[in-house]
Amino acid sequence: MIGVYVHIPYCLKKCRYCDFCSVPIDETAGRYRSAVLKEIALSKARYPNARVKTVFFGGGTPTALPAEDLCAILDAIRAAFPVEPDAEISVECNPKTIGFEGLRRLCSAGFNRLSIGLQATQNDLLKRIGRVHIYEEFLATYSAARDAGFANINIDLMHGLPGQTEADYLDAIRTVAALAPAHISAYALILEEGTPLYDDVTQGRETLPDPDATADMEDAGMALLEQLGYHRYEVSNFAKPGYECRHNLIYWHNEPYLGLGVAAHSSMVEDGFRVRFSNENSIPAYLKKLEKGKLPRAERILINTFEQMFESVMLGLRLVKGIDRKAFFDRFGCDVIETYKEAYDKNARFDYWDRTDPAFLRLTPAGMDHLDSVLRDFRERRLIDFFR
Amino acid sequence: MNFDPNLIRNFSIIAHIDHGKSTLADRMMELTDTVAKRDMEEQLLDSMDIERERGITIKASAVRMFYHHTDGKTYMFNLIDTPGHVDFNYEVSRALAACEGAVLVVDATQGIEAQTLANVYLAVDNGLEVLPVINKVDLPSAEPERVKKEIEDVIGIPAEDAPCISAKTGENVGEVLARIVDTVPAPTGDPDAPLKALIFDCFYDNYKGALSYVRIFDGTVKPGTRIRSMATGNEFDVTEVGVFAPTWKPVDSLTAGEVGYIAASIKSVAETKVGDTITEAGRPAKEALPGYKQANSMVFCGIYPADGAHYDDLKEALDKLKLNDASLSYEHETSAALGYGFRCGFLGLLHMEIITERLEREFDLDLVTTAPSVVYHVYTLDGRKLVIDNPTNLPNAAEIDYMEEPIVKATIMTPSEYVGTIMELCQNNRGTFVDMQYIEADRVNLHYVLPLNEIIYDFFDSLKSRSRGYASFDYELSGYAKSELVRLDFLLNGEMCDALSTIVHKDRAYAKGRAVAEKLKDVIPRQQFEIPVQAAIGSKIIARETVKAVRKDVLAKCYGGDITRKKKLLEKQKEGKKRMRQVGSVAVPSDAFMSVLRING
Repeated sequence: MIGVYVHIPYCLKKCRYCDFCSVPIDETAGRYRSAVLKEIALSKARYPNARVKTVFFGGGTPTALPAEDLCAILDAIRAAFPVEPDAEISVECNPKTIGFEGLRRLCSAGFNRLSIGLQATQNDLLKRIGRVHIYEEFLATYSAARDAGFANINIDLMHGLPGQTEADYLDAIRTVAALAPAHISAYALILEEGTPLYDDVTQGRETLPDPDATADMEDAGMALLEQLGYHRYEVSNFAKPGYECRHNLIYWHNEPYLGLGVAAHSSMVEDGFRVRFSNENSIPAYLKKLEKGKLPRAERILINTFEQMFESVMLGLRLVKGIDRKAFFDRFGCDVIETYKEAYDKNARFDYWDRTDPAFLRLTPAGMDHLDSVLRDFRERRLIDFFR
Repeated sequence: MNFDPNLIRNFSIIAHIDHGKSTLADRMMELTDTVAKRDMEEQLLDSMDIERERGITIKASAVRMFYHHTDGKTYMFNLIDTPGHVDFNYEVSRALAACEGAVLVVDATQGIEAQTLANVYLAVDNGLEVLPVINKVDLPSAEPERVKKEIEDVIGIPAEDAPCISAKTGENVGEVLARIVDTVPAPTGDPDAPLKALIFDCFYDNYKGALSYVRIFDGTVKPGTRIRSMATGNEFDVTEVGVFAPTWKPVDSLTAGEVGYIAASIKSVAETKVGDTITEAGRPAKEALPGYKQANSMVFCGIYPADGAHYDDLKEALDKLKLNDASLSYEHETSAALGYGFRCGFLGLLHMEIITERLEREFDLDLVTTAPSVVYHVYTLDGRKLVIDNPTNLPNAAEIDYMEEPIVKATIMTPSEYVGTIMELCQNNRGTFVDMQYIEADRVNLHYVLPLNEIIYDFFDSLKSRSRGYASFDYELSGYAKSELVRLDFLLNGEMCDALSTIVHKDRAYAKGRAVAEKLKDVIPRQQFEIPVQAAIGSKIIARETVKAVRKDVLAKCYGGDITRKKKLLEKQKEGKKRMRQVGSVAVPSDAFMSVLRING
């Protein structure tokens, strides 16, 4: 069973902090739909036995394309692969790109989860990070989505934004929680090189809250979300019980997924080997390959068992629940704690392990705050160590 | 066959950094056709990269030139170069001892500086005739008459008819050459007497071995001569003698009055000691030339490979540098914080910086350098005298009767407007005022006695910043004095870090402890846990700072497309950690050990 991701690389305008593959919508959009349809057909031939349990349309802004394009792509996926009857089918959208009619259409086509990018509820903050919408426009989109029949909605929020205070952030959480979405993603801003915001900050035209202030926001935000009934299940993800994003759980469980569209990444089992590959990351290159009838792959690497083990740790420890030791053992034939004994012991000294359930390798909240440091320790283990 | 000694002139050029010594030497070589203009690499005498970058000359060398005088005769000029920094005072004195005269170059826009003055006194002490030359007269701000008067007032030599030149444009340089013939005496000496040759520098060549740069005072040396070092008694057979014109050129012999090099298959420059007298083994001179001293290291520091696995590479590099630098000393030492490394001794701070820079640049080593230390004399209650160059080796306070520290006599020349702030700097550094002379209405010469350990960190930098670069500084060791000294230790997360220990005066310990702890707080990156940084004297904590813990070290997003990138990021972060030294539980950046002790006085 796999997850299918579809990347739609168009936006009304790129936000100042964004380093995803996205461009303002242009004349390539018309050819894009048929290219993805072709990619689906070619993928069907490549993976004739694949069964799909989740579909996720991400971007960019998928709803920058007409709803009928998205529906056509979803229909093609259904035609190519068996999709489970209870499959989670998500689509990301941004305010101002879609109205009631479009949302209604998506809903009837089978999309059953909507993820709306809001980021903040204060219009001055939205403007400062280059969002094209204001809060009121988000609100219109949200109620349209409800009216259109979406019951499972996620709202994205961010903290650590330029000019943002803890009060701003907590206000945003309260405001959003009052709308009672099923899921809230709460990300710390990542300042990515090559973005306009990065240049502004490094050249002194813009300032971010200091790391301690951002950490304060994050901690206060987590406590508030918990209090409002949203439990944390991943580093940055919160949900009402039963509404965890099943598609994203595929990544964190290190299960296979097929990425379609420009710059999409896949991790699949081919001829018994786990492989990871990426698609061409420029729209013209992507279109050209498919128009010639070829899969649009740019890179493909084999992931050996040792790397798979590390990736399972790297992704699995992001989950509050942690890594299921039995599942790890069944997959790799060894125990995760014994295999990474040194890293485990070192971090035990910091009290980073939550040992309430011995069936799981699980971090405490403090351990999750230092996940990257924990992972660096796990990374110390080398393939060659297995032969000693 | 031999050149008429009456037509030989041996001289040096004395100048402050940037006053134009190398440029003048270049012009002289061009005018005497020693080197064609097009062949000339800029400033030929400075051959090492680092010297060139710093605009200073470290190793003396010498050039032979032939000058056709207006009297119709051809003169042999031997220009002996001198290092321009206080650390190499002894080398300067030996280079000057090889000459009969010195050209004193003074910048017409600046005037005399402290180092110049020190070197002129050395020249006068060695009985040299001094020919003053006023340089940079082409600059609009040149004041040749003021500078001439300054030379007369400060040094006490006539300067009224000193040539006014521009080494840069070549203006009047010819007159300098003519005046050298008139001013500098011809060498005296007996070519048939037993050989007496003064080593004023040495150089290691991969093919010829250690070469001695010499001035022959008596006798003759040629290939096949069996020579003996009068300092060590070692004997060697000469394989080649030659001169620099301006690169090496073998000659049949070197004879009394001449300057050149001797090659004798000597394995390392440590066996050719500057200041030593070379004589014939079969017919030795009765006594050596005066002035030989064993060069002593004044400043010590620990040098460690940033990655412990490179210890052998560091040892090999030091062995190689030592081949060409007899004044560098080193021995193995072990630090609890830094592992295996070397205790290295240097002539002074600049020498130390040059060596560490060469190790990093020429041998591509990443180093951890500990704070410099001077050599202390420790007298214990049971009557022993210990010589301590590493703070870690200082015995317990309870065992010490008293301690002595090295003291220097410092000369500072400065425009008078900065006297107040410079005196304050000297007082802050435990200086004792000796006297102050007005050189001119607005320039003074200050004399202070200062403990050496107060000037080895950043005294020179502070002096320059307080005087906006106008003050100049020179010092010489004047002996040892009793002092109330304590060892200041630093603890990171409760564990003592031996590489940070330093010996300081009791009255300065609190301020220094506070300042260093504060600086450590800033340079140690935040880690997973809070790190107390403490300064201590014995078991008493005198200062405390805290490096706060990292709050969040986790990437907010990691989905299917982020995995490869995320792994690369983790690898990169791991590499960054490798550039840190693990001191107990705390990761400390490699350069912190040295930098934190530079606290402005």
